[in-house]
Amino acid sequence: MSDVEKTTNKHVDEFTLLMYVERQLEREAAQEVSLHTQTCARCLTLLRALDRESRLLTRSMLEQDEPLPARLAEFHARIKRSMQWIWGVVFGLAALGVYTLYTGYIEPWEQQFEQAGFGGTNLVSLLVFQGAFWKGWQSMFSLVEFVALASLAGFGLFAFRKYLRRGTALAVVFASVGLMLMASTSASASETRKAESVQVKKDEVIKSDLFAMGNHIKMEGTVDGDLYAFGEQVEIPGHVTGDVICFCQSLRLSGQVDGNIRGASNNITITGNVTRSVTYFSELFTLDSNGSIGHSLTTFSKSLTLDGKLDRDLLAFFETGSFSGPIGGEMRAKGDSLNISSSASIGGKAYFEGHKPAYVSAEAKLASPLEFKKIEHKSQMERGGGYYFWRVIWASAYLLFGLVLLALLPQFSKEAAANVDNAGASLGLGVLVGFALPIAAIIACFTVVGLFVGVSAFFLWYASLYFAQIIVGTAVGQWILGRTNETWPLIGRMAVGVLLLRVSMAIPYLGVWIKIGVIILGIGAISLAIYRRLQPVVAPNIPSMPTGPVGTPLPSNTTVGGV
Amino acid sequence: MKLRDKLAQYDPSRSFSAWLYKVAANHCWDMLRRRKARHDKDMDDVDELPLEAPEPNQLERLIEERTSEEVRKALSKLGVRARMALVMRYYSEMSYDEIADSLGVRRPFVGVVLLRARHELRQALLENSALAVGGAR
Repeated sequence: MSDVEKTTNKHVDEFTLLMYVERQLEREAAQEVSLHTQTCARCLTLLRALDRESRLLTRSMLEQDEPLPARLAEFHARIKRSMQWIWGVVFGLAALGVYTLYTGYIEPWEQQFEQAGFGGTNLVSLLVFQGAFWKGWQSMFSLVEFVALASLAGFGLFAFRKYLRRGTALAVVFASVGLMLMASTSASASETRKAESVQVKKDEVIKSDLFAMGNHIKMEGTVDGDLYAFGEQVEIPGHVTGDVICFCQSLRLSGQVDGNIRGASNNITITGNVTRSVTYFSELFTLDSNGSIGHSLTTFSKSLTLDGKLDRDLLAFFETGSFSGPIGGEMRAKGDSLNISSSASIGGKAYFEGHKPAYVSAEAKLASPLEFKKIEHKSQMERGGGYYFWRVIWASAYLLFGLVLLALLPQFSKEAAANVDNAGASLGLGVLVGFALPIAAIIACFTVVGLFVGVSAFFLWYASLYFAQIIVGTAVGQWILGRTNETWPLIGRMAVGVLLLRVSMAIPYLGVWIKIGVIILGIGAISLAIYRRLQPVVAPNIPSMPTGPVGTPLPSNTTVGGV
Repeated sequence: MKLRDKLAQYDPSRSFSAWLYKVAANHCWDMLRRRKARHDKDMDDVDELPLEAPEPNQLERLIEERTSEEVRKALSKLGVRARMALVMRYYSEMSYDEIADSLGVRRPFVGVVLLRARHELRQALLENSALAVGGAR
């Protein structure tokens, strides 16, 4: 039995832990230490402390090579003394930024959505808690949900694997997954049909929600609930008393929908009636002259044709729009070109933002003249002083953001900045995480179990786009001014690096590519730092196996400080 | 001057830095022996002293609260042997074999020297902070 082995009930002595940190233990002994520290908090803390002590020693001695200039040191000391004042300014500016963001972006959007018929509530609660997205999803046990559950469980197991050796933790995880599965399957107020071709016959009545999955879905009968359709061709000549949620290549509605229609497809044609609103993403959107929408229409399409009747407001984003039917409420549209023909009528205000003025037939009945705003793409030279003023404001905001990050997460930021040097691994991981995370977040959002995780992951990803630039800026600053591990000199280097990056990103054409490269590299470096922190071996730079030269066995009387 | 004289003895097949440290270390020992000004605690009684295991949380706090400047100040108070061991390992990143060669100890004892040096350093850090508190009063 080795020295380490006998410590399963005792603690590992300081000398052995130091040798582990120094990578001087033999493979078996190192493994035993690694296992022991996963279950012993005391040894884990001591191991971490020893590792930090090593790094502190290296840092202290390396910094002797580049002493802080006296004037900078004085400034540093003054800054330290007035930290409370600095924090006051930081939080004040942050609050101002949040307020500006809300009044500049979120509030106008809310108003636009309210004008489009989504009034009385906010968009998030509308989509999440009141819409048809929410209803019935609890009872869905489909492949999508299973994949989402499995992914989440896999992620959870990966993140907490070092704790899973404890039986209780493992039992809690499995019990939770079991409960989630039970919750998914126990409610059964829905019917699921999955086949190559799914058909609800004309005289058939389904007294619950229907989940239909197949290449060709035809709903000729009646669904007394919501219809969820996932397929290639979806036809609805029948009657749906609830909402229709559809993701397909082609949707054709010739029947009656008493609720809303929401979803995305390549093309959608409505020749029937929708009692409430339609929210849709598609390439081709056609409201036939026989079709009607009782409330509002919100659409994002390449080509939008409205020949039928829309009782309330329209909010549309398109490339080409052609309106010849009546619109009962306001019209707000943004696109390349718009044609309003003689048979069209608009009951409320009409507003169009496009590259060229809309063609409006003289016979068209508009309650007020169409307001047009031309979309302008100004070059940097044409933008004038205001443009550069805002560039400076943005650069300052970045510096402030970086200062807060480095002050709040100094160690993590340093580790991430150090990972930038490992460009190959960081770029690879950056591509993977940078593209995979938003996709995974969107997938998670469409499953009830992952909604919170999905939205959080998306926000995290979005924040990391900015954090990435700070990290790469810090690394660039260190390349230019030399390395440091002290926080304030590091912030100075970050400021220099970020300013350089911002300048390089302003270069026409090339700047965009620099920005993409910086973001990918930064996200990779951050991911690498997170990955290393999740490693079961506690200290980030300690491998689980000793990689250094393995020495002769340690003499038994050299163990000091053992407990 | 001494380095120039010794340069002819350098074996190019071995590490230059280790050789350099060894020359420097031998020179220091010679000087110390000649002066006999202080007790050579590094060589004689260092291995006899029992070391107490540190309280992990206390050690963490001690490390977290120290600046590089404080560490450098504490390092300057260490004995020659302890300081050299720490510098060779954490600044020059020398291997245990090279350190053993330079310090003239057997390889398995390098770890012990390093551990004792760390204990000395912690003690110096504590003493410095106690002095600073006393001075501030």
